[in-house]
This record gives sequence, structure tokens and C-alpha cells, in this order.
Amino acid sequence: MKRTLFKASVICMLLGGSIFSTQGFAQSDPTGKKRVTDTYAITNATVFTAPGKAGVKATVLIKDGIIMGVGSNLSIPTEARQIAGDSLFIYPGFIDGASNAGITKPKDPEKPENFVSSNPPDEIAGITPWRSAVDQFAMDSKVEDLRKSGFTLIQVVPDGGMIAGKSAVMILGNEASANLIKENTALAASFRGSRGMYPGTAAGVMAKFRDVYKNAELTKTNSDKFASTPGVKRPAINDTYAGMKDVVSKTTPVMFSASSELEIRRVLKLQKELGFNLILTDLENYEGVINEIKASGAKVLIKAEVPDDKAIKAQKEDASADVKAQYARVKEAYDKSIAQAGKLEAAGIPFAFTTAGVKTSDIGKSLKTMIDNGLSETAALAALTTNPAAMMGLSREAGTIEKGKMANLVLTTDTLFSEDSQIKHVIADGYIFDYETKAKKKASDAGNGTGGVKIAGNWDYTTESPAGRGAGVVAIKKEGNEFGGTITYDDPSGSGKATAPIKDVKLDGNSLSFAFEVNAQGMSIVVEISGTVEGNSMEGTMAVGQFGSFPFEATLSPSLTAKN
Amino acid sequence: MKKINYFLAALLGLSFSFASAQTPKGSVLIKNATVLTVTKGTLQNTDVLVQDGIIKEVGSNLSAPSGVQTIDATGKYLMPGIIDAHSHVGLDVVNEATSPITAEVQMKDVVNPTEIGIYRALAGGVTISHAMHGSANVIGGQNATLKHRWGTKNPDDIIMADAPRTIKFALGENPTRVHGRGNGIQPRSRMGVEAVIRNGFNEAIQYKKAWADYNAAASQKGSTATAPEYDERLQTLVDILDGKIIIHCHSYRADEIYMLINVARDFNISKLVFQHTNEGFKVAPEIAQYTMGASVFADWWAYKFEVYYSTAFNAAILNANGAITSINSDSAELIRHLYHEAAKTQRYGGMTDDEALAMITINPARQLGISDKVGSIEEGKQGDLVIFDSHPLSTYTVPQMTFVDGVKYFDIKEDKNDQRLAVSPTEMVEDVYLRIETERCMQDTEHLFEMASNLFNQN
Repeated sequence: MKRTLFKASVICMLLGGSIFSTQGFAQSDPTGKKRVTDTYAITNATVFTAPGKAGVKATVLIKDGIIMGVGSNLSIPTEARQIAGDSLFIYPGFIDGASNAGITKPKDPEKPENFVSSNPPDEIAGITPWRSAVDQFAMDSKVEDLRKSGFTLIQVVPDGGMIAGKSAVMILGNEASANLIKENTALAASFRGSRGMYPGTAAGVMAKFRDVYKNAELTKTNSDKFASTPGVKRPAINDTYAGMKDVVSKTTPVMFSASSELEIRRVLKLQKELGFNLILTDLENYEGVINEIKASGAKVLIKAEVPDDKAIKAQKEDASADVKAQYARVKEAYDKSIAQAGKLEAAGIPFAFTTAGVKTSDIGKSLKTMIDNGLSETAALAALTTNPAAMMGLSREAGTIEKGKMANLVLTTDTLFSEDSQIKHVIADGYIFDYETKAKKKASDAGNGTGGVKIAGNWDYTTESPAGRGAGVVAIKKEGNEFGGTITYDDPSGSGKATAPIKDVKLDGNSLSFAFEVNAQGMSIVVEISGTVEGNSMEGTMAVGQFGSFPFEATLSPSLTAKN
Repeated sequence: MKKINYFLAALLGLSFSFASAQTPKGSVLIKNATVLTVTKGTLQNTDVLVQDGIIKEVGSNLSAPSGVQTIDATGKYLMPGIIDAHSHVGLDVVNEATSPITAEVQMKDVVNPTEIGIYRALAGGVTISHAMHGSANVIGGQNATLKHRWGTKNPDDIIMADAPRTIKFALGENPTRVHGRGNGIQPRSRMGVEAVIRNGFNEAIQYKKAWADYNAAASQKGSTATAPEYDERLQTLVDILDGKIIIHCHSYRADEIYMLINVARDFNISKLVFQHTNEGFKVAPEIAQYTMGASVFADWWAYKFEVYYSTAFNAAILNANGAITSINSDSAELIRHLYHEAAKTQRYGGMTDDEALAMITINPARQLGISDKVGSIEEGKQGDLVIFDSHPLSTYTVPQMTFVDGVKYFDIKEDKNDQRLAVSPTEMVEDVYLRIETERCMQDTEHLFEMASNLFNQN
């Protein structure tokens, strides 16, 4: 299947003339989108070919979406676009074990006239094993965000009810290509009941799941008999059976969503009774059932997320002893939660991640938290690469940087899990995607000293607060040896902008702080802003009286830069 | 596959919790208590020895085998663990309210052993509760009998493995409101309720025959028979007809109670218990003759139309007519003081101590099919026991310790402020203030009156 796809895509490119100049197929390209070459050489980079392998200086050569070689003595073809990798670190492209990126839920079918909520048709009750994620998938901004975070292969899970349908593996390469790698990789199931009809609850879903599964088994037995023995009544082949057939034959696993320990136990109970192959997904709380998971032989996808620490941060110093005792329990639960991934590793369970329902931009931070709390970097990388590849049956094609594998790579500015590491390029299916990287937060140009930091001028700023997004301009002027100026802000009375003078402007190294006063309904509130300046940008916080602190970002507007 | 797992387990020395996992069994010697055996009278200054979860000996001057803890209960009362025949504590889902018959649904699938209500029930001396499906459907789901082994996160540890299967039925306003008025399907009336039950059982008889025919044919050589459709719902009704499941039926009115007795007799069903049964006193002789009795409230009624004709003498009348009678809670609050509820039958009906205590011990045990194992203090029974500081039917009594299978799960002296088993890592903790107003009955409320008068004076 995959081979054909590869061939197909190559043929497509040839026919479309996308590989020109070097191949002598040069044609006019009115869209201007076709790339100049499909051959790339990232030279002299630090390459981490697989989890647990040390980084080595090497060149990676890719062509036609395939890794042609990794090493230091590669002869680089003339058509290769060379990327200087001297300061770059290369990792295998990440693989998302289960994702809902790019998935649009299909429309609910209309209820028939004789609809009875106690006995609804399967399709309306969320039992649609014949559906495929392929039909629900399209490249969208969520998919692009995933790629930006390093993901090159994703297993997309269809949206739907208790048995939503079959997942599929997609490659996040060129939007215009056919990007399907594998179909029918797993059957997505959950405890999601149907609204206002049977089955409506987790208890109903479990009973119905047994019923669907056992009847699929019986239909299979009857079908086999029908095929082998004359005189046997024809089996009733319906859509549900057609979708369940490969599951009861054990060729397709069930990917069951279970976030808590109790849900995991419920899934394991069903697995034990019915005997299907199992992938557990969406795991959030699982510390207490690691032994049970191991005993079941199930494959594991944990959420690429840690619980938010709002409750921990909201814990106050001056609380009563009773409250402090409760704080301690929440803290204990939190600490256990972020240490879970490390415990899975210690138990020897190879796991991967799911990004379904996860804020993509927080994934890196969450993984770092897991690593800080017991997960090894090797296991974390394996969970992003070789483990999901193995789960999907793609170990030969993906998961490591080796000659002959798919050209899926992540290029970072520092070693993967280090504090300042940023993703500069992602290569997926041999297509290269470039991303902006910010200058390192450590003031590398500090050599200029305080004198080098320019703050005078007009700064466009934005803030985020519970009240919403705020924006305005801070105009900073040098007044003798001091700084002064004005700030515009969204008028709290609700219309337009208000202006106030800024005071207490202090610049210490590249730390800038100032304050201003807002008058709202007869109350005067002092707003204090502090942050660090890097070149033309400033990041910090805005403290609004007793209402709390909020993020503050500003950029020095170049056209209006005041002359000192 | 399994072989490999077992092999690996042996190789790695891992302890896997397979279904055969043992629940904890304890040993304890309780000395010098007033022992309320319920079935064998009251024994003064008596010792009870529990070994490996089983009551080994009841007598005097018993000595503890080595390693067995002795508890001095001088001046205290020891009774069998209280059994609540109607509860929903420890369930994540109560009602699969989407079909008039949901016999295939199992409460055992959705047991939550970390629910704090279980610990609170233990603090009220309750060692076993009957975690029931709700009453939205004529034939609801199958219930779970729970032993309150607090401290585990594994539901299997608190499901009483040796209890027989039971199932929830419901008559009257609830199923007719949900399905008839709510969804426009049968049953819309009490007649419809009866029809749903009879049709269900008749379909089950056909289902049983279809499978029996298939199994007989399939064993013949050269058979062309194919398996009929599998239906856990009908199979469960077949199991009821075969006497494998005890029906526990939510009911209020005498006419519908008598209706179900007749339906049961027509289908040869004798394992039937009525729940609530507020008008049970009107058909007490029939309940006594044909069923496993009634589980009732001590004095709770008038919360909907069909529950107006009620009396606090209900339990006593049922009992006097020879019906097995139990007092239940159906509430996470009432479950904490079922001993008070039982005591009400002494005020309303003059029950003896043993009769009143039987209503929360041996009688519910009989209705749940577990009276050979629990419900009284007898040698050979499971070591489910409660120590009270005074007679459990006294208004002033306070439970001191509760044991399940000889293991102490509640001790008033070791009761921590926070007994939760599961805490969310994202829980915002709010300060809770509990004040005791001891000075004057309206102290610190003056400002409320000021505010009220200000409001009046405004316009």
C-alpha cells in the first residue's frame, strides 16, 4: 500500500513536472509553488539517529522523500539544496500515536420517521465501525501546528460515538500530495454515550459494546460456515459487521479512549472478556493501574499533557492548617501525576503519545515537565518516534534516521529537550518546512551593555487578561537622564482608548519597568509593567493592583523609532 | 498469548492482579462485649474470635492465637455489620434510562470504590450495600452487592464475589413518566408496565428456545444450523426465569405489587423482593406467601403522588404477617444511621430488639441471598462486625469500629479529617468555615435585619 503510494506520488511529481532542471523536465510553473529540487543535504549537523544513540556530526542526504544516506563522507549530488547544519541538531520526525487534528465530524444522519430512542439504528447511536478517518481528514491549521511542533506522521482518529470508526496514518508532507500511509489501523472506541437514546451512559456503552462484538463474532462464524458448507442460510452482513470483521479476526486492534484509572480498568475488563487486541489511548491518570496495563499486553498512548498547575499556584501561604493539609494532598496528587510517565518507563511499558485534546503549543513544555520528574530523555524520544512507529507497524519505514526510511526529520537549534531548544525546520515526506526561531533568551548581545539597550520610541503592546486581549502603544522618551512618556490603553469604561503618563521608568541592564495609573469608576489602580528587552521586543508581565499579573508583550515600532 | 504473559510474570517475579486476586481477610479477638447475635439472642460478656475473615468462635474466656489483635469491648455492644438492601453509593452511573428494558446493563461495570460515601457508610456501621440501578426502567440493570472494603481503588475488591446476581425492576410513576410521557413509548400506564414485563419474559422464552434448538442442531454431524443473534438483554431475562437472578422491584402501590406477584407466579418466578413498598401493609400476607419480602423506608413518603398512602407502621405490619422485612436507605445520608431507622420500628409497631436489628442485618441478607454468609454473629459466618458504645437502637449510640472480613476499616479514634482516597491534581481548595452558634440564637445576624430594613426604606 505504502509503496504504491510512494510510487504514485513520484509519478505525480514527474507528470506534474515538479522535478525539473536536474531531470530535464523544466516547464513553466505559473503557480510558482513547485520546488526547485527534491534533493536536500543537511551538512555537518549533529544527528541523533535513534533514541538512546549519541549525537554524531554527519550529513543527512534526502531525495524523493527518502533518506539516501547519513554520514560524513557522502557525495552530495549537484542538484541537492544544501542546508548548513553546523549549528543544528537532527532528530527523527515525531509520530503522533492518536490525533484529532484535521478531523471534521461528519454530519449526524437524519433520524428516520419511525425512530425509537430505546432502539436507535447503529449509525445514529454512534456505532459506526465502517467509517474511516480518511474521509474526515483534511490538512488544516491544527495539522500545521502539529508539524510545527515536530510531528511528521500522525494517526488520525475519526470523530463519533462509542464506536467511531477506523483510524488512519497520515504523513504531514505537501498538502497537494496524497498523504495516506495506512488505512484501518485501529477501531476507535470510547465510553461516549448517545444523547437521549440507547446507550446513553458508560454502563449502557459497555453492555452494547459486548453485544456488538459478540454478534460480529457470531456473524463471522456463520459467514465462514456459509462459505464452506452447502445448505447453510446466508449470513446477515450489515455495515456494523463489515466494520467489525477485522476486529473480531484480531487483525485490527481496538483503540479505546480511557482517561482515568477506573476507565482503564473498565476497558481491560472488556478486553479480558472479549479478547480483542487493545491500544489504550487518552491516558491521564494511570499510576495505580500500571501493573494491570502491563499484564494485559495492551499498547499505551498517554496524553502529551500534564495537569495545569493553576490550583498549585493558587495555594496561599496564610491558609489555615486544615486548608494547608488539603493543599498538601492536591500537591501530592499533582506531583504523582507528572511523575507517571517515568513510572511507565520504569515498568518497561513502551508507550507513545496522543495529542487529541491537547494544546499543541504546550506539548514541548509538558514533555519537559515529565522529563524533570523521572522520564528519561531516551524514553521520551522513543515515545515520539520508535514506539509509535512500532505500534503502527511502520518500524521499517519510520521512527529513526536511517538510509531507506522516510525523510521525516526534526531540526532543532539545541539538543531536543534543553531549555532554549527551538525547532527550526521540519522535514516531512521530504518536504522542508522552515520556522522562525527567536533569539536565545540569554542576552547574547549583552556585550553591548546597558548602553546597548534602546527603549526610547513607540512600543506596540498586547496583554492577555481574563477580561480579554488588550492592546495599545507605549511611547517612551528620554527626558534628561531619565525616561518618561505616555501609554494608551483600552478605556475600562468601554469605549476607545485612554491615555495616561507613565512614571517610575527604570532600565537596569535589559530589565525595563514602569507604571501608570488607571481611573476606573472612581477607583485609582496602579498598573505596573516589568519585563526584559531583547533587541526590538519586550516580554514581561503587567500587574494590575490586586487583580493579578498578566502577560505583556511589546515590539518597538521601527518606522516610528524616536531618535534617542 | 496468555501463556506468554504467565511465563513472563513468573520470570520477572511480577505480581499481577488477575481476577482470582484475594481480598484482605483479617483476624481479631473482640472481648467482653454485649454480643447482639440477632439470630441467637444477646450474649453478655462474650468474646468473638475472627480468623482469616471468618467468625471462628463465639464464647467466653477465649484467648487470641499468636499474632491476633485483641480488642477490649467491655461495656460496649457488638452487632453484625449493617446491610443496606437499597443504595446507590459507590456507583459512577445509576440510570441507563434510555429503554424500558435494560437488563443487560451491569452496575458491576461502573462501581467506584473511591467514593467517600462508602467510608461514611462504614462510619455508620454499614458493611454491605446493595448498589442498585435506578428506577427509570421497568426492567433496569443488574445490581452489585458491595462489601465496604475501603482503601482500594480496584472495583473488584469491593464487589461481593460470592453474592448472587440481582436485578432492578420498577413499577408505577417513574417508568411511565420516563418512557410513556417522556418518549411516547410503552409504558404510559401501569397496564403498560405489566405488558412490558410479560412481553419481555415471553420473548426471553423464545430466545432460550432458539439457542437450545441451535445448540442441539449444531452438535449433529453435517449440521447446517447457524447461530441466532446474541442478545444479553434477553439472556438476562432467561436467567431470571431460570432462577439465577433475584428481582428487586421498586414499587409503591398495593395494586401494582399484587400485579407483579401474579406475573411472577405465571412465569414461575419466586426470587422476588419488593423495594420501597409503601403500600405493602395492604398486601402483606401475599408478599409473605409468594416473595422474599419487602425492603422499606422507616418513615419516608409523600414525595410524589403514588407515595401518599403511607405509614410508619408499614415495616411492623409486614413483619407481623411473616414477610421478610428490611429497612433501607436509598440515600448516601440515611445510610449513615440505619440503626436509628431500625429503632423507629420500636416506636411505630413495638418491635423487639432482635426484630428491629434483623431489619438491618439478617433480613436484608436473606433478600440479597447472602444470609448463609453474613447478617448475624454465628460461627462460620464472615467477620463483618460493628462495635457500638451503647445499644445500637439507642438514640445516643455512636459506632466505634467497623470490620469487614475481620479487617478494621473504620475506627472512630483513627478517623482523619480527610479520608478521601482520590484527590484531583487540579482541585482548587476553598476554605470551609463551620461555626457553632452557642451564645444567642440570633447572634451575628443583626446585619441581615439592617439590610432588610434598608431595602424597605429605599423607596
